[in-house]
Amino acid sequence: MSRRPPKGEYIETDTGNKVARKANLVGTQNIMLGGKTVIQPEAMIRGDLTRLNPPSSTSSSGAAAPGSNTAVSIGRYCFLDRGCCLRPPSRMYRGTFTYLPLRMGDHVYVGPGSVVQAASIGSHVHIGKGVVIGEMTIIKDYTRILDGTVVPPHMVIPSFSIVAGRPARVIGEVPEGGHEAFELRELYKTVGNNPQRAPV
Amino acid sequence: MAPPPLTPYTFIQCPCSDSSPAGPAPASPSGLGSDAEDDDRTFDPRAPRSNYSLHPLEYLMYCEDCHQIRCPRCVAEEIVTYYCPSCLFEIPSSNLKSEGNRCTRSCFQCPICIGPLAVTSLEAPPDPNLLAADNASAPSGPYILACSYCHWSSTEIGIKFDKPNGIYSQLQKVHNGGHPRVTAKDRKDRRKDTISETTVSSEPSSTPATSGPLDTETHFDNLRSFYTHQISDSVSSGPGLSLTDMGVSSPSSLTRLMNLYTVNSLDPSKKPTAASARRSKPTFREAADAEEGLQPADLDESSAIQALRVASWPGTATAEQRGTQEAVRLSNLAEPPLHGRSRLVSELRPIPVLLRTKRSKRCPVCRHIISKPEPKVASTRFRIRLVAGSYIPAIAIRPLNLSSPSLSSPTAAAANGLLQPLKPVQYLLTFTNPIFDPVKVTLATPATVPGRFASKVTVLCPQFDIDANTDVWDEALRAGEAKKRADERLEGLKEDEDVLEIPMFVRVEWEVEAAAEVGTAIGGKETRERRELAYWCVLGVGRISQD
Repeated sequence: MSRRPPKGEYIETDTGNKVARKANLVGTQNIMLGGKTVIQPEAMIRGDLTRLNPPSSTSSSGAAAPGSNTAVSIGRYCFLDRGCCLRPPSRMYRGTFTYLPLRMGDHVYVGPGSVVQAASIGSHVHIGKGVVIGEMTIIKDYTRILDGTVVPPHMVIPSFSIVAGRPARVIGEVPEGGHEAFELRELYKTVGNNPQRAPV
Repeated sequence: MAPPPLTPYTFIQCPCSDSSPAGPAPASPSGLGSDAEDDDRTFDPRAPRSNYSLHPLEYLMYCEDCHQIRCPRCVAEEIVTYYCPSCLFEIPSSNLKSEGNRCTRSCFQCPICIGPLAVTSLEAPPDPNLLAADNASAPSGPYILACSYCHWSSTEIGIKFDKPNGIYSQLQKVHNGGHPRVTAKDRKDRRKDTISETTVSSEPSSTPATSGPLDTETHFDNLRSFYTHQISDSVSSGPGLSLTDMGVSSPSSLTRLMNLYTVNSLDPSKKPTAASARRSKPTFREAADAEEGLQPADLDESSAIQALRVASWPGTATAEQRGTQEAVRLSNLAEPPLHGRSRLVSELRPIPVLLRTKRSKRCPVCRHIISKPEPKVASTRFRIRLVAGSYIPAIAIRPLNLSSPSLSSPTAAAANGLLQPLKPVQYLLTFTNPIFDPVKVTLATPATVPGRFASKVTVLCPQFDIDANTDVWDEALRAGEAKKRADERLEGLKEDEDVLEIPMFVRVEWEVEAAAEVGTAIGGKETRERRELAYWCVLGVGRISQD
């Protein structure tokens, strides 16, 4: 932290998002941040991979407004660590290839170097380091995915699961007393242009 | 190989293990009372039993009525809801009895890699150049189960499905290879037919059973019905008991069955006594043909050996894969002639997903509920959740190297994460008070750590107060110094013997408003009730260097 750029390493928005200047955000108009979200350097969000509307199907579903094609929506107090990648999942839908939005709840931590292609991630989810989350995965609330896990596509992970392995399997249950450990408010305060010192 | 670095940890002992009389035999003279002995005894984190009584704080519950810590080992659990972890549907417990503990919808795991299987249409995707209305029609069958992790699909075992839903029941009706399988209902129907046939012809017909060997379920069914008939026949001809009194598994029928083998056949030298002769007079006949459940054992295993030879190593199922198949056998989905013991990959079946539960927890002593989740599968809320973390202070430990100018060695030791023998190291213990009353904490540790490599421990501030929990986190820091000394000779280490664990006795005292319903506070005077809680905990500090 000796060299600090004059403008600050992070762009801090009105809603409290802290986005690193070195983060790789593609298609920012399709990325929704709920506020108080931290995006660390080298993290990548592929907002350009939006729902593809083939010209033939616009006649049937003409109601799709151009602004509604959100590719990635992120809740509050999420933390995207260094070098992780959020990528909307794709699938064949009615014979055509399309991307579907990636939805993420509150207090989601994505570890460094992890690749997330889930369809939905609940709230209070901890994704470790070097995790791969396959396409169309559904991850429910209070889930901990340990480092190096490979979650196969289409897997559903129920609430309060501890998941590990390649392919991932549920290896344990989050204890009742462990719910508070998912809170990311403290972690949020420790980054930014004028970070607070981490509590002991 | 260097041991993995150890992050400092704190485990707390649950009092449920205290009541057990086990432990080292008391070496003290008989003059000492048991209480005094109890007080002298320090907790040994290396004792074999300790593994079962130490828990991280998150795993501990707290009973508000007993004012005591409860651990996962001592609470009583009750199942609130059964649900499938894959489709997240709730299963009523009545279904559970009839259909087993696996999801009976379309949730399956890959038999090769246990990844989830997705129902996929085999038909080629419709032409995107066609009109949207044509494309909108849902893809039609046949359907397969496909694993997107290892690319296994049910075509490899020759199974395709007509409908995309209700895969479980469809799978029950087909063998690997796709030929149909006799279900329980079919068997019942067929049995009805043959029984009516046999009553007409009054002799067992062998016509329907000539087509190949029986599968296991038919085999068992035939045998059971045959012996049920045998018993009911012999009973109806015998005196006394009516048919309704005796089932197949009633004790008297069992004795009868056992007599059949022990008295008559196994001991030919022994002359049948009058009594046994009378008892066995309505003789039991053995099953004589396939309709009655007779199935000659196929001792010729050359075909199985040949199959193994052809399949070779890659085509052979691993022990793990066979183990999961064994579990599937119970849900009546395995290939029957194999009894769930599939040798080859081609004999494996998709594994229906095991159900999961939501459970409530009760205090083992007062039976009060200490944890109760919402019964709905989608809800993550708890109606009652008395976790220890909101009653007893959280203890964190970390090396104190920044603010210790006199000691330069700890930083060097911390560099490789190992503790140097004969070098004192300072640690900082942080207690966080979760309750809204000030708490008085008393700490005690043995002077030296138990174990082969005794380390000296000094707590610099054994008694202190922590202020009440406020909205602003208020933390009281107290430094404890652990002076360590370890033997130079460190060869012959057992597993994890080099981990320095300090047992510490924590006594917490606080005052609460006396409960209103207790009759002691008659006057208007506000009474304060003193509470105290004492427990052992173990501080895992780090590994001792072996150099």
